[in-house]
Amino acid sequence: MNNRSLRNIILEKIVGLFMRVMVIFSIYLLLRGHNNPGGGFIGGIIASTGFIFYAIIFGTDSLQKVIKIKPQSFIGIGLLLVLVAALLPTLFSTEMLTGLWIKADVPVLGTLHAGTPLIFDTGVYAVVIGVILTIVISIMEVLKWN
Amino acid sequence: MSILPLLIIVPFTFIILALFIHHVRIKNALSLILGLTNFALAFYILKIVHNAGMLKTQMGSWPAPYGITLVADRFSAFMIFISAIVFLAVTLYSIQSIDKERLKNNYFLFTYGILMGVNGSFIAGDIFNLYVWFEVMLMSSFILISFGGEKAQLEGSIKYLILNLISSFFFVAGIGILYGKMGSLNLADLALKFSRIGDFPSLFEPSLILLLVGFAIKGALFPFFFWLPASYHTPPPAVSALFAGLLTKVGIYSLIRIYTLFLHHYDYFWNPIILWMGILSMVIGVITATSQFDFRKILSFHIISQVGYVIIGLAFYTISGLAAAIFFLGHNMLSKTNAFLVAGWVHRERNTLSLKDLGDMFNKHTLWGILFFISAFSLAGLPPLSGFAGKYLIIKAGIESNQIIVAMVALFVGLFTLFSMTKIWIEVFWKNTKNEKNDSEQRIKSNGLPYRYMITASIILALSIIVMGVWAKPIAEFCETAATDLLNNQKYINFVLG
Repeated sequence: MNNRSLRNIILEKIVGLFMRVMVIFSIYLLLRGHNNPGGGFIGGIIASTGFIFYAIIFGTDSLQKVIKIKPQSFIGIGLLLVLVAALLPTLFSTEMLTGLWIKADVPVLGTLHAGTPLIFDTGVYAVVIGVILTIVISIMEVLKWN
Repeated sequence: MSILPLLIIVPFTFIILALFIHHVRIKNALSLILGLTNFALAFYILKIVHNAGMLKTQMGSWPAPYGITLVADRFSAFMIFISAIVFLAVTLYSIQSIDKERLKNNYFLFTYGILMGVNGSFIAGDIFNLYVWFEVMLMSSFILISFGGEKAQLEGSIKYLILNLISSFFFVAGIGILYGKMGSLNLADLALKFSRIGDFPSLFEPSLILLLVGFAIKGALFPFFFWLPASYHTPPPAVSALFAGLLTKVGIYSLIRIYTLFLHHYDYFWNPIILWMGILSMVIGVITATSQFDFRKILSFHIISQVGYVIIGLAFYTISGLAAAIFFLGHNMLSKTNAFLVAGWVHRERNTLSLKDLGDMFNKHTLWGILFFISAFSLAGLPPLSGFAGKYLIIKAGIESNQIIVAMVALFVGLFTLFSMTKIWIEVFWKNTKNEKNDSEQRIKSNGLPYRYMITASIILALSIIVMGVWAKPIAEFCETAATDLLNNQKYINFVLG
C-alpha cells in the first residue's frame, strides 16, 4: 500500500483472516478428497483464491513475503511430488502409479488411511496454486497493480 | 518395473529440474544429457521390441480394458526411435541457435513437454490417453510457437492455436460419442468389439468421422492443412524444425493406428476417402510449394505433400503399402527436420529467408551446402538417400495393388519436389549475387556467428538420412514386419487384453 491515507483497516484485517480461512478450508478439502467431493485441484483453487484476495489488497510483494517461496517453485515441488507418488510403487515391485496404502492408528483422530494418492493429490494442489499465482502475479505486475 | 513408462518419466524429470535450475549453461547441459538418455532408451526399446514384438505396461496395475495401457509395437518403437534422433539433434541445435532470453525463460522445458507428449502418444494404448498426450504436446507447442512474442510470430500462433483447438474439439467429441456407443476406451478392446459387430452400422460414422477430421487437421491433410503453412515459418527456426519433424507425424501415426485397428472394417467407405485425401495433399502441397519464394514456406508446403505419400501408402492397405508408409514417415521426419535446420542457419547468417535476396552460399559454406543437398535431395528422392527408398517402396506398393494411376501421380509429384528443391538449391546456394548487384552493396553481408553445435546437429541428421538410404533393406524389412503386425491386428488385441 503506497498510499497510506487510503488504508482501510477493516478490509485489511478481514482479508488477512479470510486468506487463512481459505487455506485451512482448502487443506480440509484436499484431505477428504479421495472418497468425498474435494481433492487436490479444487483445494488448490480455493487456496489460491485466498492468496489472490490478499494480493489484491496488499500487492504482490506482500503476498510473496507471506508465501515465502516463488510460485514457480510451487509448480516444481508439486510436479516432484507427483513423480514421487508415481514412482514409489515401483520400489515395491508393482507397476507405476499403483496405489499403496498404510493404516495408522493415531490417538486422537482414530484409524487413518494414507497412501500414494494423497501424495499425488498434494502434488496437484501445489501445482494448481503455483500455476494460478504465477499467472495472476504476472498479470498484476503488467498492470502495475502495486 | 517395465521400461515403457521411462519414456514419459525422462522428459518429466527434465521439466521438474528446469523449474529449479536457473543457470542457463547447466540447463543446456542437462537438456543434452537427458536428450541422450531418451535416445538410448528409445534404442533399447527398439531392440527389445525388435526381438519380442511388443511391450506393454498397465498403469496402476489395473487390468487391460479398465486401466490405462501403455503399449509399444514395432511401429511405435520405430517412431519413438526416429523422434528421439530428431529431438536430440534439435536440442543440440537449439543450444546455439536460440537466443539467451528464450533459453533463460525455460525454452527447453517446453521442448521437453513436446517430447513427453510425442512419446506418450506413440505408446498410448487407450484412445482417451492418446488425446491427453496430444494435449500435452499441443500446450507445449502453443507456448513454443508464441514464445518471445514477435509480431509475425503472434499472427502465426493465433492461426495455429485456433485450428488446433478445433481439431482437439473434434477429436474429443469423437471419443465421447464412441465411448457412448461402445463403452470402452482401450484401443485393443474397441478393436475387438468392432470386429465382433461384423457388419458396420452407420451408428459409428459420426464419431469416426470426427476422429478422422481431428487427425487430419493435426496431420495437415488436404482439406485441413491451411494452418500449417500459415504458422510454421514464424517461430524461431529450431522450433519450426521440431514441429516439422514431430507434430504432424503424430497425427498421421494416430490415423494409421486407428485405421488399422478399426476403421478398416468399413474400408469400402474409408479407403477412397483416405486415398483421395492423400493424392490431393500430395499434389496441392507440391504445387503450392513451387509458387512460394520463402525458404521455410516452401519447406512447410512440402510437409503437406510428403504427408500425402504416407497416407496413400496407408490407403493401399497392403503389407508393402503400410511398410512403405512407415518407412516414408521415418525418412520424412529426418529429412524435413534437417532441411529446416539448414534454413535456420541461413536465416541466422543472412537475416532473411527470401529466395530472391539470398545466394552465393555454397562458395563460402560448402559443408552447409552439402548438408542441405543431402536433405533436400533426399526429400526429392534421389538414389543413395533415404527418400529414394521411401518413394520406391510407395510406388512399388501402388503398382502391386493395381493403383497404377496413383503411383504415376506419386512419381510426378516427386518430379515437382525435385523442381522446387532445385529452386532452393540454385537460389540460395548457387546463384552468384555479385553479377546482379555489381556493387559491394553489403547485400551479402554475413553475420559470421558461431555454428559449431548447429552444424553437428545437422550432420547427425544427414548421416542418419544416408544410413537410412544405404541400409534401406534391413530397415524396410523391419517396417514390413511392423506392417504385418499392424494388419494382423488380432495379435495386438490378444497381446493387450491377454
